[in-house]
Amino acid sequence: MSVRKTAIVVAPGRGTYGKNELGSIARLHGARFGDLIANFDAQRRERGQPTVSELDGADRFSVGVHMRGDVAAPLIYTATALDFLGIDRDKFDIVAVAGNSMGWYSALALGGAVSVEDGFRISNAMGLNSQTHGPGGQILLQVVDEDWRAVPDLRETLLALVADIATRPGHALALSIDLAGMLVLAGNEEGLAALLAEAPPTPGRDPLRLAGHGPFHTPLMFGSSDKAMAELPHSLFHRPALPLVDGRGHVWRRHASDPAAIWDYTFGHQILAPYDFARSVQVAVKEYAPDVVILPGPGDTLGGAIAQSLIGIGWQGILSKADFAARQAADPILLSMGRADQRELVTGTR
Amino acid sequence: MDAAQAVHEKFLAALAGGRLPDRVDAPDPAIVGLSRADATDIFLSQLTSRQMDRLSRHLQARGEGFYTIGSSGHEGNAAVAAALRVTDMAFLHYRSNAFQLHRARSVPGQAPTWDMLLSFAASSEDPISGGRHKVIGSKPLNIPPQTSTIASHLPKAVGAAFSIGIARRLGMSGLPLPDDAVVLTSFGDASANHSTAQGAFNTAGWAAFQGSPMPLIFLCEDNGIGISTRTPTGWIEAQFRHRAGLHYIKCDGTDLVSAYAGAAEAADYARRTRRPVFLHMATVRLYGHAGSDVQGAYLPKALIEADEARDPLLAGAALMAEHGWMTPGEIADAYEEIGGTLARQAEAAILRPKIITPAHVMESLIPPKREVARPNTPSAEDRKAMFGSDAGAMDKPQHMARLLSWALADLMLAHKEIVVAGEDVGPKGGVYNVTAKLHQRFGSARVVNTLLDEQAILGLAIGMAHNDFLPMPEIQFLAYVHNAEDQIRGEAATLSFFSDGQYTNPMVLRIAGLGYQKGFGGHFHNDNSLAVFRDIPGVILAVPSNGRDAVAMLRECVRLAREEQRVVVFVEPIALYMTRDLHEEGDGLWTSAYEAPGDGTPIRLGQVGVFGDGNDLAIVTYGNGYYLSRQAEKILAGEGVRVRVIDLRWLGPVDADALVAAVGDAKRVLIVDECRITGSQSEALMALFVERTPDKKLARIAADDSFIPLGRAATLTLPSRDSIVAAAKELLA
Repeated sequence: MSVRKTAIVVAPGRGTYGKNELGSIARLHGARFGDLIANFDAQRRERGQPTVSELDGADRFSVGVHMRGDVAAPLIYTATALDFLGIDRDKFDIVAVAGNSMGWYSALALGGAVSVEDGFRISNAMGLNSQTHGPGGQILLQVVDEDWRAVPDLRETLLALVADIATRPGHALALSIDLAGMLVLAGNEEGLAALLAEAPPTPGRDPLRLAGHGPFHTPLMFGSSDKAMAELPHSLFHRPALPLVDGRGHVWRRHASDPAAIWDYTFGHQILAPYDFARSVQVAVKEYAPDVVILPGPGDTLGGAIAQSLIGIGWQGILSKADFAARQAADPILLSMGRADQRELVTGTR
Repeated sequence: MDAAQAVHEKFLAALAGGRLPDRVDAPDPAIVGLSRADATDIFLSQLTSRQMDRLSRHLQARGEGFYTIGSSGHEGNAAVAAALRVTDMAFLHYRSNAFQLHRARSVPGQAPTWDMLLSFAASSEDPISGGRHKVIGSKPLNIPPQTSTIASHLPKAVGAAFSIGIARRLGMSGLPLPDDAVVLTSFGDASANHSTAQGAFNTAGWAAFQGSPMPLIFLCEDNGIGISTRTPTGWIEAQFRHRAGLHYIKCDGTDLVSAYAGAAEAADYARRTRRPVFLHMATVRLYGHAGSDVQGAYLPKALIEADEARDPLLAGAALMAEHGWMTPGEIADAYEEIGGTLARQAEAAILRPKIITPAHVMESLIPPKREVARPNTPSAEDRKAMFGSDAGAMDKPQHMARLLSWALADLMLAHKEIVVAGEDVGPKGGVYNVTAKLHQRFGSARVVNTLLDEQAILGLAIGMAHNDFLPMPEIQFLAYVHNAEDQIRGEAATLSFFSDGQYTNPMVLRIAGLGYQKGFGGHFHNDNSLAVFRDIPGVILAVPSNGRDAVAMLRECVRLAREEQRVVVFVEPIALYMTRDLHEEGDGLWTSAYEAPGDGTPIRLGQVGVFGDGNDLAIVTYGNGYYLSRQAEKILAGEGVRVRVIDLRWLGPVDADALVAAVGDAKRVLIVDECRITGSQSEALMALFVERTPDKKLARIAADDSFIPLGRAATLTLPSRDSIVAAAKELLA
């Protein structure tokens, strides 16, 4: 009997299917998961939307098209779900699932709280739905140094500034996603402008406005939440087959979780309140102590945030970027399926 | 076979063979309001707790775990957690793993099994004690950590519950315990016999009997045995079913639905009526008291088997199977999966850092300083209104008792969170009038007349401090503190240490004490030993010798408690309360005018008082000893001896540098200690001067190792003015 490694799987969110991923769905999954891709395509066609196959098979990557929520979300979901199905279960025992932001919808399907097909339905609907909001968006700020160690007091200073701006008339601003090494802050235009004007210098690149993103995970998304609850019924949800760690770091256990409660969280709190990705990864590794973390789906951009989340708690003695790099070189703890070399370790195939 | 392994295998065999108990008499989950998801979630917490117990034994066997008192058979307390809110502060005993694991389910982002494994492994990352003790406890879960001193946590639970009603009466908000919170405290059937526990039941009942709010659940987890001594059948119910002031509820902790029903009823009753409940929950103790205990040595096999048949996991499994919520096969899989997960976690947890330096061990002995709200700064008009006719007397010299009573009033006016509590401190104003008029000025919510039970008084203070009050309890006489000393020694002083500084119980404990009361009172009113406080790490011990110092020091004590969260003991020498004169009748040298807050020179922790600058001799003393030494000094001065008299003021900790500096160039040091010589301050002072100033001539006088008699004999065993003079001359000779 082979000794299987234990793994948690972390589903990526928006901004991961880029130029380099164009065509990857057909290339990596076309042969094995043609039926599912056909199902997803049919769902899109029914709604009068260009299909996943068409979008993935486009001649060139278009920021205007591929980065839009109603396109990016189904592409990312498809790549994530099919990658997950491709994990070699003889080698890996998957012990828990988490996700980042829209990756939560993927996580629902990976963990069996919804079917793979309904997972697509939800991701697709939410990709469109998440455009239902007032003016505003997200800004990404780095709070760690180049070795991925926390810059003293920077996080606290920024969050205090955000809280202060949020009290001003006409300004909306809040933490949107905590990515450990980076904070995503979201708000209306006034709030974001005040943040850009007043934020202390942060390491790395300048604060980045995320193209095509709304003020996700803030109360400004109430329209999206209402719409989701109206469109996507309880009946899509089941008791999960794997533990799911949500954007609060709450664990939805097998057997015990009420599908209606998962539904309520997914389309309520999850949309309207900060997504604490760092906490979800940290809880998942503490409570399931996996051998590895698998990052399925397109690209590997979430890998940094996963690593920074581990560094945040010194997991397995990893205290810096250098420690993480050394660990990756010796015996990788993070396996990104968007990287060919690591993908091979996960799927057992080239 | 190992007993834990035997129970484990029995459970798996029952699942495999479909031999689950009949739940015919147990309540239906729907009727008690328990959903499928909730019941299943409780059951999973119970499975997890059980597997942690097994794991703790394996870790101990490998030398990687340090605690094996388990929760097996007590997993019903997970259902109690489900019936309460996370804001309901819980003071738990040591078989409460399942409670903590399950309460964590209602606070997203918790990693309860990982956290607990860190404590098993004594890792410095253990989030509650920092690796200092395996305690049940958590800051985010409102579970202050308890150590295993039996039932000593019950008095503070009473205090915490009492504080909720006080907060409501005072209109305070934003405290750790919300207005509608209840407090839970748990213990076993054996601990229920402890006098400390009995005192707590009595106090809660006494308060409730007269209508004081006491939203408190006493959870007695009755497993029928204390280590090896069996509780008489029916004893707990017979004792508590009809106890005055307590509402009795019974449930079966071996069935999670019954446990939930009982706990929900108890929580509802306590929350709704704000009266205390005794929740009697039947449990079993599986596989002995702790890892080293072989219960087969003292219990009949049939009894052990009967208990094992009541394993709560079996009833839980029966519930799941009965409703089709989990099949026995799914339960077995889930149980094994939990065991596997915990084993992986444990391997990671034992690699986490440990405490490796003494400094790190001691880091949390003294609580962290905190930001406090600025005190209310009363205006002159406010103070005038409060003091009324007393205001006119303030510029005239007064004795210590009166000055202290005014200082207390000013402190209470400035700090709304101060509550004074003790025997007779109310309208009577205390035996020596030190709390005079406080009741009239601040009302019965802030000046609490307690029952005659020192453990209750100190428990009240500790519990109120958990809810951000600043208690100033009073113990009427020093000798009375001894029956309750564990509340300071084992509880108040250790809280910061065992919670890594996260929980604190700042207070200023005032005690009237020491000898020289002109023959009145005998030993119990003249006790002259402070040894009980001198060896407790972190506790501050202050003894003023005169009124002006007493006021400044009391203000410093309150500052230390408010800002630095310290536990402070302030011993007031009874004999000096009303003393007005020093050398001769009418000289008034032991009185002073009252200095309003902000006036006068503050006295900070460790600062000594120095009279004179003579360098023939330094007398180092405190309290009554200082008073007598000042008399001696005058006589010696008349004989041409130049003496300085140093008042230690702060006996714990002594600021050695400040003391040595105060002694300065004095060639000789005489230590005068009014306390019994054994265990007295003089012992430490002798050592200090031998080590720090070996060139100086050194001597001491202290009280004999005797109790204090009545009448003229009262001072025979104590240092006196004349014995000080004689000792000084001998040292000078």
